[in-house]
Formats: sequence, C-alpha cells, structure tokens
Amino acid sequence: MKGIGVLPVPFRMKRYFYMKLKLNDLVPGIIIRVLSFVAVIVMVFMFYFVFYKASPVLVSSGLKIFTQTGFDKQISDAFNAQNGDPAVTFGMLGLIGGTFFSTLIALVIASVLGIGATMAICEFMPAKLSIFVKAIVRLLASIPSVVFGLIGTITVVPFVEKTFVTVDMQIAYLEYFQMTGRNLLSSVIILSFMIVPTIISLSIDAVNSVPASYREVGYAFGMSHFRVIWKIVIPSALSGITAGIILGAGRGIGEAIAVSMVCGGIGYLPDFTKGFVGFLTPILPLSAAIINKSEAMSVPAVESALFTCGAILLVFSAILSVSAKLVEKQIRKVKGHDE
Amino acid sequence: MMNKIKNNAVYSELGYVYSWLSAGIVVSACLLIIIDIVYLGHCAISLDFLIKEPNASAINTEAGGILTPMIGTIMLTIIGTVVAFPFSLATAIYLCFYSKKGMLTKAVEFAIDVLAGVPTIVVALFALTIFTRPEFSFLSTMVDGVEGSSRAYGKSFLVCGIVMAIMILPFVIKSMQEALKAVPESYIEGSYALGATKWQTIVKIAMRAATDGLATGVILGMGRIIGDTAIVWLTLGGTLRMTGNQPWYEPQNWLSALQNTGSTLTTYIYYTSPAGEGNNYTVAFGASLILILIIILLNAITMGFNFVSKEMGKK
Repeated sequence: MKGIGVLPVPFRMKRYFYMKLKLNDLVPGIIIRVLSFVAVIVMVFMFYFVFYKASPVLVSSGLKIFTQTGFDKQISDAFNAQNGDPAVTFGMLGLIGGTFFSTLIALVIASVLGIGATMAICEFMPAKLSIFVKAIVRLLASIPSVVFGLIGTITVVPFVEKTFVTVDMQIAYLEYFQMTGRNLLSSVIILSFMIVPTIISLSIDAVNSVPASYREVGYAFGMSHFRVIWKIVIPSALSGITAGIILGAGRGIGEAIAVSMVCGGIGYLPDFTKGFVGFLTPILPLSAAIINKSEAMSVPAVESALFTCGAILLVFSAILSVSAKLVEKQIRKVKGHDE
Repeated sequence: MMNKIKNNAVYSELGYVYSWLSAGIVVSACLLIIIDIVYLGHCAISLDFLIKEPNASAINTEAGGILTPMIGTIMLTIIGTVVAFPFSLATAIYLCFYSKKGMLTKAVEFAIDVLAGVPTIVVALFALTIFTRPEFSFLSTMVDGVEGSSRAYGKSFLVCGIVMAIMILPFVIKSMQEALKAVPESYIEGSYALGATKWQTIVKIAMRAATDGLATGVILGMGRIIGDTAIVWLTLGGTLRMTGNQPWYEPQNWLSALQNTGSTLTTYIYYTSPAGEGNNYTVAFGASLILILIIILLNAITMGFNFVSKEMGKK
C-alpha cells in the first residue's frame, strides 16, 4: 500500500488502486461475517440433532421421564431385548434427582467457601499473599476433571467409607443397595471443590468493581472493617457473585467424568427423610449416566435414552447460562453504566 | 449499648475466622491434591515411562509408558487449536469491529453464551450424531462387517480434534474479544486518521497491539483441550494404543493413525484408574503428574504474558 499519496500516479492508475484497496477491505469483511456465524450454526445443529436422536424416548415416555425411577433396570432390559425398537419407556427421576441434589448441595458448600475466600483474598490478605492464593485458585480451576475423579476414587471414597459407613448400616440397607464409599457424599465433596474456583474468580471481579466511595461511606459511619465488607461490599457485589454461582451450577450439572468415578453408578433417588443415610445413597447423575452406559450405545433404545439425558442437560445448561447473562446485565443497569 | 458494641466485635472476629478458614480450606485442598499426586505418582515416573507404549496390565513393571497418550494429547491440541483459531479470531473481530446493534450480532452473542455453558459430554453426544454419518467417513473409518449398516465409525483423532475445536470456540472467542477490546481507542483512531482502511487497521494495529491477549486466548483453549476427558471418551474411545496401521510413527502411516483411535493422557488416567479396566493407580498418578506439570507450564506462560503486557502498559 506504499502508493497512497504518491502524487505523480496517473489518474486511472489511482482509481484502480483505490478500487483494489476497497476490494481488499470488502473481501475480508465478508469472510469474517461468514466465519463468525459458525457459532450460531453449531448451536442450532446441536439442539436439533440431540433432540432428534432423543425424540423416540421423549415421545414414548412423555412426562414419565420426570416422574418414574428405575433407569438401570430399564437400560439393561432394553439392552437385552434386542428387538431394535427405540421407543422404550424410561423413567429418569433418579438421574434428575441425583443431578439436582449433588449439584445443589455442592453449590451451597462452594458458595459458603467461595464467598469467605473471596473476602479473605480481596480484603484481609497482604497483596503478595493474595497474588499467590489467586494463582492457587486458578490452578485448582484448571486441574482436569479426571484427576479430580482419580483423587476421589483413591482418597475420598475410602475416607468416606471408613468414616461414615458402618457394617450395621450396610446390613440394614442390603436389600436396597450395597453401601460403599461411592455415594452422594463423595460426589458432593469432589464437585464442591470443582465449583469453588469458578465462584471465587467471578466474585473477586465483582468485589473489585465496587466503587471505593461506598466503603468510605461505611467507614465514615464508624463501621468496622468486617461490617463494611459484610453490609456494603458483599451486597453491592451480590449480582456478580450470583452470576458466579449460576455458572458454578452449570459446571456442576455438566461434570461427567469425575462424578461418574465416585457416584456409585446406580440411579437411586436420595431419601433424606431417613436422616444422614440419604447422603450415603449411590447416585447416577445425568451426565455420569451418559459415560457409564456409553458402552451399550449400539442399541437404539439405549442410545435414545442417553440422548434424552443429553437433551435435558442441554436445556438446563442453556437456561443457566442465559440467566447468568441476564443477572450480569441487571447489574450494569442498576449501576448505571450500561453500554 | 456496650453490649451491642461487644456483639459487633464478636461478629467481626467470627467473620475474620470464617473468611480465613474458607480461604485456608480452598488453598489446602488444592495443595493436598498436588501433594497427593506427587506422592503417589513420583515413583511411576522414569525415562521408560515417558518413551514406552502402554500395555493393559495391572502389574506396574509391565504397564509400559505413556508415549502414545502423550502424542495423542499433543495431536488433539494441535488439531483443535488450528481448527478453532480462524473461527474464533474472525468472530472476535466481527464482534469488536464489524457488528452493529441488530439481530445478527445478538444471535452470535447468544450462541456464544449458550455454547459456553453446554457440558462437554453433550458436545460429544452431538458430535456422535454428526460424525457417524457416512458422508464424514473420510474423517474416521467406515464400519464394515456389520450387516446392513452404512455408517462411519465416528471415532478418530480427526473427529475428536474437530469436536474439541467446537468445545473451546466460545471460550477462545470471549478471551480474544476481551483482548481486542482492550486495545486503546486512540490507536485505532490514529490509524484511521492516517488513511488506513478498516482491514489494515484491524490487521496491522489492533491485532498487533493485542497479540499477547490473543495468545492467552489460544493457550486457554489448549488447556481446556488437554484437560478434557468426556469428549475423548466418546469420540476417541477407550483404546490404549494407536489403532491405525502399525508402526504408527512411520510417515506413511500418519494419516491412518489420524483416522483411527488412540488415547490421550486423560483417557489413559481414566482407563488405568480403578474406575476403568486397568486398575493400576500408580501409573494413573504418574500420568496425572505429567498432565498437571503441562497445565502448570501453560498457566505460567499465560501469567508471563499478562505480566509482560502490564509492564509494557506502565511504560
């Protein structure tokens, strides 16, 4: 493009040159627009194909998916039936309950830990220590899920089995399930530490974006450091923290490998009316079910059932990420600096 | 009055304790995980472990090494990043420089948000429906020997790499978009004022100024590819060794190796852990140690980039 502004270029040459320049600007623009549309196409295809493959089970089961249990037996029946009919009724209440309880309890633990740790990192720690802790949190976020699962099976599961499961309990529940360390509690422990870094990193951003004047008002009223944090900083950062918690929930329901290694692999619905035993029930969340039963996927009915799990996960996760976005937008509106 | 002040003091103390305690739990959990891995995995690591092919065996001395899983991880990382790079860069540029407020921009932003939240296992399921179609059999192999079936196998390094690209797309886009947004407005205006066209401004000014940020985005994507298991398990399968024409390291067999299955470090860990079939957790911890080291290295590189760009910003 060195020719720009060189005066002696003949008029026609110059015009040609500008046309070329315009073309050079136009073509990449079109290419960029086309390439950037891929995300939309992938999203549409994803919803279409997952629901298309899930449709036989969705149609034949209807609402029974949400009200009936007994997924494991239905899967093995469908696998042994061998008639190739994909329209089998499946009840996934156990799986949905497993996903719901494991994610919810892990989320509560992770939020409590995460908000406390955020306060410590942003307010109480000396600058150098907080940089170190932030690096640790980032490392915790990037540890692969299979490593969490491995630590879970080797360390957490035996610990849970030794601490909470007694022989009396095993005998009492023998007719329902074999009680081992692989249960809801182990999944919750693993999941909470997988969710915590997400919550912490979004909360740190939210707390750091609280204007300094807010705190100064608190100090001017004679509030103690902790009271300023608890009554002013955290409430003003609450929507950012909420967005973090929602994203954490998304990570929780989608986590497959780590949970499938420690959850026990039987789709019981945890029953908390009997007390603590509810935590020692083996569960099978939706995502872990896809991993656990993927060997049987050559049977059309099983395949369709697993795609139904996938479809439920897809809808839940889409709702979660859209609501996280809405919450974030809400903050911007409240704070008055909308784009 | 005194009582209330006292109560406040007590609450403050409790608050300090709660906050330090939770930070302590999070940090010690991470450190414990690292110590656990190093403690249980260090004895598996040796030169042989790094340069031998794996065997399915529960005995430590016969379990072989992790050469093919490491090669598999590297191959997937390269394929995934190379496929995702043009799309994510284009989308980030589109959202920063070309988009006007309208349906199209909203659709792209919405799609990115939704895709970022989709669990990897669902991405893998989606890929199974697409890549088992016979039209895509050039990416994997056709299923033969089964009566009346005309579908592709749908499991290969190429397929898995493309799926990885789909998985990292939203994250890389977001991080690249942030990098491009951080380029000072004055640079862009200065470029326009000198008579540069839009495309020249983007390529020669914005992208150069944001190189560190763009690289951070790519490395972020790499980290996610290296750490992912669910996609590998469904679209690459649970085999330990390379299943293409042997020996896989001869150049004429490279294409066949890409079209066939193998393993990565993550599926190797899953396979050798008690959850899989290997039931030899010392090797699994050895592989985890290598995996964690790679991830720490990538983290260090991104932190280095951030540090350098901050220092540059100060000057």
